[in-house]
Amino acid sequence: MQAIEVSHISKSYGRVKALDDISFSVGKGEVFGLIGPDGAGKTSLFRLLCTLLRPDEGTALVDGFDAVRQMREIRRRVGYMPGRFSLYQDLTVRENLEFFATLFGTTVEEGYESIRAIYSQIERFEHRKAGALSGGMKQKLALSCALVHNPSLLFLDEPTTGVDPVSRKEFWDMLDGLKERGITILASTPYLDEVRRCERVAILDQGHLRGIDRPDVILDQFRDVFCPPPIDRQENSLPHREGRGWASVIEVSHLVKAFGSFRAVDDISFTVGQGEIFGFLGANGAGKTTAMHMLTGLNQPTSGTGRVVGFDIRTEYEQIKRHIGYMSQRFALYEDLTVRENIRLFAGIYGMKDREIREKTDELLRRLKFEDHADDLVCSLPLGWKQKLAFSVSIFHEPGIVFLDEPTGGVDPATRRQFWELIYAAASRGITVFVTTHYMDEAEYCDRISIMVDGKISAIGTPEELKQRFRQPDIDHVFTLLARQAKRGD
Amino acid sequence: MLRFLIQKEFLQIRRNAFLPRLIFIFPIMVMCVMPWVMNMEVKNIVVEVVDNDHSQSSLRLVHQIEASHYFRFRGLQPTYDLALKDVEKGRADIILEIPADYGKNLSLGCPSQLLIAANAVNGTKGSIGSAYLSQIVGSAVATPLPHRERLRVGELSSGMGQGAGLLLYNKPQNYKLYMIPALLAILIMMLCGFLPALNIVGEKEAGTIEQINVTPVPKWTFILAKLIPYWLIALFVLSICLVLAWAVYGITCQGPLALVYLLAILLALFFSSFGLIISNYSDTMQQAMFVMWFFVVTLMLLSGLFTPTRSMPHWAYLTTYVNPMHYFIDAIRTVFIRGGALLAIRHQVLALLGIASFMATWAVISYRKNQ
Amino acid sequence: MGQFVSFVIKEARHILRDRRTMLILFGMPVVLMLLFGFAITTDVRNVRTVVVTSTMTPQTQQAVERLAASEYFTLTTTVPTPREAELLIRHQQADLAVVFTSKPSAVQFIVDGSDPNMAQQWTAYAQQTLLPMVSTPLPHREGQGGGPVTSHLLYNPQMRSAYNFVPAIMGMLLMLICAMMTSISIVREKERGTMEVLLVSPVRPLMIIIAKAVPYLVLALVILTCILTMSYYVLDVPLQGSLFWIVLVSALYILLALSLGLLISNIARTQLVAMLLSAMVLLLPIVMLSGMLFPVESMPEILQYVSAVIPPRYYIQAMRKLMIMGVGVGDVLREVTILASMTLLLLTASLVTFKNRLE
Repeated sequence: MQAIEVSHISKSYGRVKALDDISFSVGKGEVFGLIGPDGAGKTSLFRLLCTLLRPDEGTALVDGFDAVRQMREIRRRVGYMPGRFSLYQDLTVRENLEFFATLFGTTVEEGYESIRAIYSQIERFEHRKAGALSGGMKQKLALSCALVHNPSLLFLDEPTTGVDPVSRKEFWDMLDGLKERGITILASTPYLDEVRRCERVAILDQGHLRGIDRPDVILDQFRDVFCPPPIDRQENSLPHREGRGWASVIEVSHLVKAFGSFRAVDDISFTVGQGEIFGFLGANGAGKTTAMHMLTGLNQPTSGTGRVVGFDIRTEYEQIKRHIGYMSQRFALYEDLTVRENIRLFAGIYGMKDREIREKTDELLRRLKFEDHADDLVCSLPLGWKQKLAFSVSIFHEPGIVFLDEPTGGVDPATRRQFWELIYAAASRGITVFVTTHYMDEAEYCDRISIMVDGKISAIGTPEELKQRFRQPDIDHVFTLLARQAKRGD
Repeated sequence: MLRFLIQKEFLQIRRNAFLPRLIFIFPIMVMCVMPWVMNMEVKNIVVEVVDNDHSQSSLRLVHQIEASHYFRFRGLQPTYDLALKDVEKGRADIILEIPADYGKNLSLGCPSQLLIAANAVNGTKGSIGSAYLSQIVGSAVATPLPHRERLRVGELSSGMGQGAGLLLYNKPQNYKLYMIPALLAILIMMLCGFLPALNIVGEKEAGTIEQINVTPVPKWTFILAKLIPYWLIALFVLSICLVLAWAVYGITCQGPLALVYLLAILLALFFSSFGLIISNYSDTMQQAMFVMWFFVVTLMLLSGLFTPTRSMPHWAYLTTYVNPMHYFIDAIRTVFIRGGALLAIRHQVLALLGIASFMATWAVISYRKNQ
Repeated sequence: MGQFVSFVIKEARHILRDRRTMLILFGMPVVLMLLFGFAITTDVRNVRTVVVTSTMTPQTQQAVERLAASEYFTLTTTVPTPREAELLIRHQQADLAVVFTSKPSAVQFIVDGSDPNMAQQWTAYAQQTLLPMVSTPLPHREGQGGGPVTSHLLYNPQMRSAYNFVPAIMGMLLMLICAMMTSISIVREKERGTMEVLLVSPVRPLMIIIAKAVPYLVLALVILTCILTMSYYVLDVPLQGSLFWIVLVSALYILLALSLGLLISNIARTQLVAMLLSAMVLLLPIVMLSGMLFPVESMPEILQYVSAVIPPRYYIQAMRKLMIMGVGVGDVLREVTILASMTLLLLTASLVTFKNRLE
C-alpha cells in the first residue's frame, strides 16, 4: 500500500483553478519533494491531504484512508507544518513546545531525540517569549513543534524559508533520520540543494502537474526554471574599488547594540563603498537585522559610531532616512493599495513631484512588465512579484544606498534571478546595495560579503578572497565552516 | 508629503469592506433609533388596583387611572397579595389599594388612607410612578378644602399639573432634543476614538509601520495624516446627523451652527489623539480596544451625558474638571438647546482646547520612530 | 484528558500574560460598580439657584433662607430682573431661578428645561421646600403622613440607583467577557495560522472549542463573584434571593454568551471584524435596548420587539427579581425558559456552523 495516493484531484476557488486533475502516489518511507513557482497550488495540495480542504473532484488516500470520509483517522496519523506556521507569541519557547507535544499526545522528553539537532540551538532561550525571538529562530522553534511527535506521515510546506544554510542542512539531516524510522515525508521547498535531497520530486505549475521524477532528472528537464544561467555582469559597471573616485557610503566602527546584558551586535566595524553590492550574511540571530536597524535609524546604538551617506547614525538619523531606501523582511507594501498607489505613496513621501511620479511610474511599470497589473491590489499579486515591486519602490526616489533585509525569502529560482537583475541595474546606476540573504548562490553575486557570527563579523572580503582564505570550493562551505563555530544561538 | 499620506489613509478606508458602511450606516442608525431609546421619560407604568370598596367613587378613581396616558391599567385584583405576586412576576409595576370604606369616608369629608406600593428597583420609575399616581388620587380626593394661602406657588406645567411655572428652552419637554447633542458626542467618540486607535496597531501588526519609520516622514506629519481623515469623517457624520435631526425629528440648532462644528472639531481632536496614544502603547488590537473602551465608558458616564454632574458626590464631581466630554456636553447643550453664543461657552471651549492640545502633543511625543 | 488540561493551561496563560487586558477586565467591574453605585444618580442636589427680587421683604427673606438651608439648592446670586436670571441660565451659571414678583404673594420658577425630567424634579423640590411656609400642607403630597395616600416604595425604599444597575452591569460584563473575548481568541488563532495545526492534530475540534471556553467561563465566574461581593459589601445592595439560583441562572447566561462568541468566531475571518461585530452587534444593543439604562416600556413598540430578542434583557430582569426583589425561582421561570431556549438555539447554530476544515 502506498502512503499517499492522489487520483484526479481538482480544486478551484471561485474561477481560479488551484489544482487541475492531479494524480500521483508516494511510497511508504519516501522523501517526496513538491516544487514549483508561487501560486502553483502546493499549499492547496497540502491542505487537501491534511483534510483541511475538500477536493472538488477526485480522491486522495492518505495512509490508506480517504481524505474526505476518514478525516479523523488521517488527522491522527499526520504531522503538518503549514507555510505560515505561527507560534503563540505570548508563550515561552518551552511552553510552546510542551503545548504542541501534548496536543499530539506525547511529551517533550519522549520526542526530544527527534528534534535535538534543531531544538538544542534554541534551548537556552527556553524561557524567552516566542514573540521576542528573531525570525529564523521562530522558524526553528516552529520546526521543533511540528516534529516533536512521531507521525507516520509528515507534511512540510516550505519549512526552511528564512532559515540559514547551516540550520537547513541540519534540518534535512534530521529528516533523513526520520526516514530511517519509516516516516513518509512530503515537503515543498524553493531551495535547490534541498530539492536534490528528495528521492523523487513533483513539479507543479499553475495547478497542473508537470512531471514526477528523480530530482536530477527534473532539474535537468526544467533547467530554465530552476537553474537559470548565471547573470552576466558587465565588468565596466563594477565600481572601481581601489582606484580614485571610490568613496565610502557606510563607515561603521565598534558598533554595539545591547539588550540588557545580551549583546546582539558586538563591536562590528566595516566600510562599504559607493556602488558596491555588499552581502551581509550570518546565521539566524547572529545580529544582522539589529545591525541593519541601527544603520537605517530605527534603533539607537548602545556604543560605537557609524556614518551612513555622510550622516551620523546616532544623531542625524532623520537625514539618513532621506537618502536611503529600505525593504524589510516582512511585506513592505500596503496590501490594500494598488501597485500604482503604493508607488505614488512612497514617491510622495520622499517629496517627488506629481509629474515626475507619473512619468517614472509608467516607465517602471513598463520595465517590470506590470502594465496590466498597475491597478491590481498588492495582496492579489504572487510573492515574487511583490518582492520585485517592493524593491523597485524602495529605489524609486534614487537613494544613495538601499538596504534589503532577506528580499528573496521563499521566492522561486527564476524570480530570484530576475530580482538580481534588478539589483545589478540599480548598482550600475551608482546605488549602493546592502543586502542580507540566506541563499549562498546570491552571496556569490555580491561584490563583497561579510559573515556575522555571534554578533561579530568573523570574515569580510570578496567572495573569491574568502574562498581562498578558508580554502573552500564555494561560499556555502565558507559559511558553514564559520557558522558552526557559533557559541550562542541568538 | 502630507497630501500623499492622507490620500493613502482614504484609499485604505475605502478599500476596507467594513469601514465605509460603518461610517454611513452607523450614524443613520444611531440617529434614527437612539433618540427613541434614550428616553428617561417614565411611560407605560403598569397599574393594578385592589378595590376593597367597590363604590361609585372608587370606580371613578379607577377610570381616572385608566384614562391617564402615563399608566397602563392592567386590571383589578381581589387581594393585595395577588397583586404583589404580579409585581414579583414582573407583570405589574405599581399597586393601588383602595380601602373598604373609601367612598363612604370620602362623602363624609374625611378621606381614608389609600395605599400605593411601587416597585422601586428602578428608583426613578418607582418614585415618579407613585408620585403621578398619588397626584391622580389626590385630585380625586381633593374636596375643596378651606385654603388659607399666603403665597401662591406656581406649578410647573407638566403633563399633570397646571399653573404658572416658566419652563425655558425645551418647552415641549422633548427628551429627544436633550439627547441629540449627546448622540453627536457619542458618534464623534466612537468614530474618532476607536478607528485611529485600531489603525496604528493594525499597521504595527502588519509590519508596514517599519517601512514608514525608515522614510523621512516627520512624526507630526505621520500623526496628522492619521488624524485628518477621521476629523473629516467626523464633520461629515456630524452634518448627516444635523440633517437627520431636522428631517426626522424637526429639531434644529438654536445657537450658531458654526459653534457646533467648532466644538465637534475640538472633541474629535481630543478623541483621535487619545486613540493614537493608546495605540502607540498597545501591542495588539484587542488590548487597544479594551483600554479604549474602558476610558470611553468612564468618560461618558462621568460627563453628565445621562445624569446631571451636579447630582454626583463631590469626589466624582471633581473629575469633571479634567473630563473633556463634560465640557463638550455642557457647551453643545448650551448652543444647541439654549441657543447660547460663543460668550456663553468660552470657558468650555478654552478647556477643551487646552485638554485636546495636551493630548495631541502627547500623541506626537509617544509615537517613536527611533528606539 | 492531558491534552485537554494542557489546552486549558495554554489558554489561561494567554489571558494572564496580557496584563493590560487583565487590568481592564478586573478594573472595569470595579469602576463601573463605583460609578453606578455612587456617581451616576439623578438625585436632586446642588441645583444652582438664582433669586430674582427687586425688594427684599421679610417674607422673601424667609423664603430665601429656607432655600439656602436645604441640601437640594445652592444659592448663587440675587438679580433684580427675570431677564438677567434667564441670561445666567443660558450661560450655564444657574439651573433654576426663583422669582418673587412684585405682587405680594406669588412665587414663580424659571427653570432650565433642557432635561425635562430634571426640570420637573427641580421645580417639584423647590415647591416642596417653599410649601410649608406659603400654604397649608396641600393634601396630595406624597408620603407625608396625614394625607390621603400612603406610598410604599417596595424593595428599594431609598431609591438607590445601584439596586437597578448592579444586575445590568452583570449582564453587560458577562456578555462582554464571554462573547467578545472568546470570539476574538478563536479568530486570532485562525488569523495567525495556528488553527490549521490544531485542526490537523488528533484533538477533536469540539474539544478545542470547549478548552477555549473553559478559562473564560472561570474568568466570568470570578468576575461574577467580584461583582456580587462588591455590591454586597461596598454598595450595600442586599442579596435578597437565594445565591444558588443567582449563580445557576448566571451560569446559564454565561453558557449563552459563550455560544454567541463561538457563533461570531465562526462568521468572522479577522480579529477586527470579530471585534467590531461584538461591539456593534452585542455591546451597543445590550447597553441601549436591554433595559439596562433606559426602560424598555418607554421605547416605541418596534424597538420593544427588537429588544425581545436580546438575551441580556431577560437575564437582567431575572437578576433584578432574584437579587433585589428576592422572589423565588418560580417567578423567574419565564425568563429562565427564554434564556435556556436561546442558549439551545445559539449553541446548535454555532456547532452546526463550526467548520472542521478551512473552507
